Amino acid sequence: MLLQNELKNEQAIIDMKNVGIRYEQGPEVLSDINVSLKRASFHFLTGKSGAGKTSLLSMMYLAQKPSRGSLNVFGKNVNFTNRDSLALLRRRIGVVFQDFRLIDHLSAFDNVALPLRVCGMSEREVKKRVKELLQWVELDKHMLDKTSTLSGGEKQRIAIARAVINRPDILLADEPTGNVDSDIAVKLMKLFIELNKLGTTVVIATHSEKLVNDFQYPRLHLQNGGLKLFMPREKLIKGARLYD
Amino acid sequence: MISNDPLISRKQELPLKDNTTSLFLKVIISIAIFLFAVTLAGVLSINSMLNAWNNSILGSLTVQIMPINNANHDLALKQTLEQQNITVEFLKKLPEVEHVSVLSDEQLEKLLKPWLGDGIDISNLPTPRLIDVKIKKNTEINYTKLAEKLSEISPFASLDNHKLWLDKLIKFADGLKILALTILFLVIAITSGAIFYTTQSNLGLHHNIIEILHIMGAKDTYVAQQYARRDAWLGFIGGCIGLFFAIPTIFLIARLAEQIEGGIISEAHLSPFSWMLILALPLFSSGASMLTAYYTVKRTLEKMM
Repeated sequence: MLLQNELKNEQAIIDMKNVGIRYEQGPEVLSDINVSLKRASFHFLTGKSGAGKTSLLSMMYLAQKPSRGSLNVFGKNVNFTNRDSLALLRRRIGVVFQDFRLIDHLSAFDNVALPLRVCGMSEREVKKRVKELLQWVELDKHMLDKTSTLSGGEKQRIAIARAVINRPDILLADEPTGNVDSDIAVKLMKLFIELNKLGTTVVIATHSEKLVNDFQYPRLHLQNGGLKLFMPREKLIKGARLYD
Repeated sequence: MISNDPLISRKQELPLKDNTTSLFLKVIISIAIFLFAVTLAGVLSINSMLNAWNNSILGSLTVQIMPINNANHDLALKQTLEQQNITVEFLKKLPEVEHVSVLSDEQLEKLLKPWLGDGIDISNLPTPRLIDVKIKKNTEINYTKLAEKLSEISPFASLDNHKLWLDKLIKFADGLKILALTILFLVIAITSGAIFYTTQSNLGLHHNIIEILHIMGAKDTYVAQQYARRDAWLGFIGGCIGLFFAIPTIFLIARLAEQIEGGIISEAHLSPFSWMLILALPLFSSGASMLTAYYTVKRTLEKMM
């Protein structure tokens, strides 16, 4: 009760009310999703394959609009926001895709630099930031290599570096530790936690029970097209509120 | 230096250079600019020809003195010359007239040469005498009244203001001009259409990259600028190639036109300004290609995503 009252007073960074999504004339993949994520919250998103995790994430990173209901991101209703304004909102969201979605003919450097260049940042600043981050993910030696020549784990680190390079307000990651060894996975999770401490709202979609258990954060679980919130047992963490 | 840094010499996110679409567009634009340049040269030449003809109509007229028939040839010639002198004196007194000159026998022989050949003696022929009259600039003359007065002064004088036969030529030239302008319009439409459809299909081809760019926060203009830059370059290169072949063709056509007797076509020359317009065509094709690509991308993306 205390948690809910606290949350009511703070503006939700992602707010979904009665959201449903369907593709063309098919059945609804997600129905009546009611969730509100506040600034600097951290959630895992779980559910079986095909439960709709990717669809939910794609609405969160504004790649598609809901078929019904209202979706507010940074306080703006996406149904009533024009294309250019949506682009500006997307710049504040970092996304890590399960299949990485890197641009193969570009180098690792150019892929990571993409969000900064899209914003029109100076090449000097781009160079400084990208080099720094690639050193941190231990890929500075592959800076000029095309991403098509890199291994799965290396690609994943490039994808993560691209997602966090412009210090996003929201970070959405689909299986971000799926292709890396446990040491790198821990290192990446620490990066997400650090970003979260700096104020980034983090949502990580995962199948890994170990990851969910090792890091005690609330879990949003998708089942039968609906969403349920499970709070961690050991810690009381500020986070999400599911509407009744 | 910054530009030599391999990190900073960035590649465009969309791989638009050196693909078959680029080659196709380059060829299409080259052909279009070739046709455009040759046709534009034609339109500009026709314009200069029309201007020259119009100036000749506005600025001059010819008075003919018909030869007087008389068995006595010398007397007939004398009487004809008397009529000519009376008419010249009358014309000189008119306030609208700047200059009156009688065409000499040599000039008349030159005019008749294409029909009668070399070595003619004009004094033995019943040819009309011609008086060339220059009209003052910015003055209007009433041709009907002048013709009436002339017939009062001399029954053998008749007025030819060139308008009758030139009107037919002007109509013909106007028709040619409309035809040429239609060709220009069609060339622009076909080239724009080619750019439109190749850009659209190319957008489909690079759909995945464009989607990534959008998710990263790129506006439609960011994607459109990449296409616009590529097509501006293709438009310029294609324009230069087209012009490279068009200029010799224009000179060849001009040379052929000069060989036509009568001096009518030789009025159709290209002024320095006209040449500047033709030489600026690669810039025009570059700008037109750039704008077509830019707006095609903007419009297509709005519908596509």
